[in-house]
Amino acid sequence: MSLAAFGLAPIYVEWLLWGFAVTLLLSASACVAATLGGVLLCAARISPLAVLHVPARIYLGVFRNTPLLVQIFFWYFAGSAIFPTPLLDWFNNPHTVVLGFGGQTWLSFRLPSFEFWAGFTALTFYTTAFIAEEFRAGLRAVPAGQREGGLSLGLSPALVFFLVVVPQAARHAFAPLLGQYMNAVKNSSLTMAIGVAELSYASRQVETETFQTFEAFGIATVLYILAVAVIEGTGELVQRRREKKYGRGALS
Amino acid sequence: MKLGALVLLAAVFVGGAAHADRLDDIKKAGVLRVAAFDSNPPFGYVDEKSRQIVGLDVDYAKAFADKLGVKLELRPTNPANRIPLLTSGNVDLVLANFTITEERAKQVDFSVPYFSSGQQFLAKKGVLKSPDQLNSLRIGADKGTTNEIVLRRDFPGATIISYDDTPFAFTALRNGNVQAITQDGPKLVGLLANVPDKENYEIPEFTISNDYIGVGIPKGEKRLVEFVNETLTELETAGKAQAIYDAWFGPDTKTPLPRLFKIGDKQTN
Repeated sequence: MSLAAFGLAPIYVEWLLWGFAVTLLLSASACVAATLGGVLLCAARISPLAVLHVPARIYLGVFRNTPLLVQIFFWYFAGSAIFPTPLLDWFNNPHTVVLGFGGQTWLSFRLPSFEFWAGFTALTFYTTAFIAEEFRAGLRAVPAGQREGGLSLGLSPALVFFLVVVPQAARHAFAPLLGQYMNAVKNSSLTMAIGVAELSYASRQVETETFQTFEAFGIATVLYILAVAVIEGTGELVQRRREKKYGRGALS
Repeated sequence: MKLGALVLLAAVFVGGAAHADRLDDIKKAGVLRVAAFDSNPPFGYVDEKSRQIVGLDVDYAKAFADKLGVKLELRPTNPANRIPLLTSGNVDLVLANFTITEERAKQVDFSVPYFSSGQQFLAKKGVLKSPDQLNSLRIGADKGTTNEIVLRRDFPGATIISYDDTPFAFTALRNGNVQAITQDGPKLVGLLANVPDKENYEIPEFTISNDYIGVGIPKGEKRLVEFVNETLTELETAGKAQAIYDAWFGPDTKTPLPRLFKIGDKQTN
């Protein structure tokens, strides 16, 4: 199959597909990390202990109220100022990881560049703040009567929380969570500013080489829509299964 | 009858063309009209104190006028007006950082190059010595420039990180994210001139591609082209070309840049 598309030479389409792969890897890994971080941050935020909820409030204030682009620059430049020189050199040089046994190579891949790590860190910290708040909103959406009902059945507060509140909260938070994943895919394009070779960066490169601006960004647009559509489709599918299981109008 | 008129007309034109020699006209008028930049230091810009246009290009223009024994008249120009000024006959020469290209050579004639600005590198002292090292380095470039394209084409082993502009790329160099940045030599010295800790950086003495700057001359003025080329060669042999260069890019100036190209050198690209 020839890769030529929209009048772009195959080599440039290949560049765009590589960029797309980096976009997917960057946003997927950031989403996984941010979801785990979001659970912890949300737990800290709703904790009655000041030693937990005060730092959580500060974190949310800082990361939700500053532009992502500024945060990306921060991790790229300040990050490289914090690390000691040998560690920085290690990060800046390409490394190949080889997994194998007895001289046989099973798997060999190159570790991502420092730009990628900086972009991943920035995107993760930023998305964590938003996801934590979506979780908290999910918890708050569970009516108080559910909790009271659980307690009146003689369950301990902890069991009420994990068996009654959390499952319902998870359903409330599901759709907004996917929304944050879609945002993460789109936000990953900002990392082109520090030279992460993701999809937008690749389109810019193709444009520089070919002057085929419309074609380069046209393909990039289609790929972004595709990635977001897959997330959206997954959401629809889960929702429909729920409806089948619990009937229409069940909490998504 | 008609044919006769046509032949007569043709004879007038041919005769006219052969007769109208710009070099003679300049000598007769006693004035050499030269277009130069007025806001592109150090090639041509208005000096704050004297309110006159000065610069490397202007010094060459003066040398031409002196050789002819005529007065120099400078006309400020911008990049877009350089060719129209020549084709309309409003100026005799253009000395305005005029890069020689095939496309332009269809409309105007060029002298031999008297200046070359090449794609160079800025790195921490001692890191970069020769072009072969580029294939194993991380290099910062400006997005959308020919520098980025040339580097990717000629040094496929180099890791290129493209940034929005040169100061940004320099910050990345300073932070150790890249080991060198690339741009045109004159731009790099301009950048380095404003860096507080400039003693830690250097511009290694090699270029990986070159733009050649020549004198723009109206099309078809053979004797004028010969005069300009001869004068340039004389300036080089007499050491005057070096003196002009040193006045603007020499080690004692704010923008020191090693002179890698001399008039008459073979062009490499």
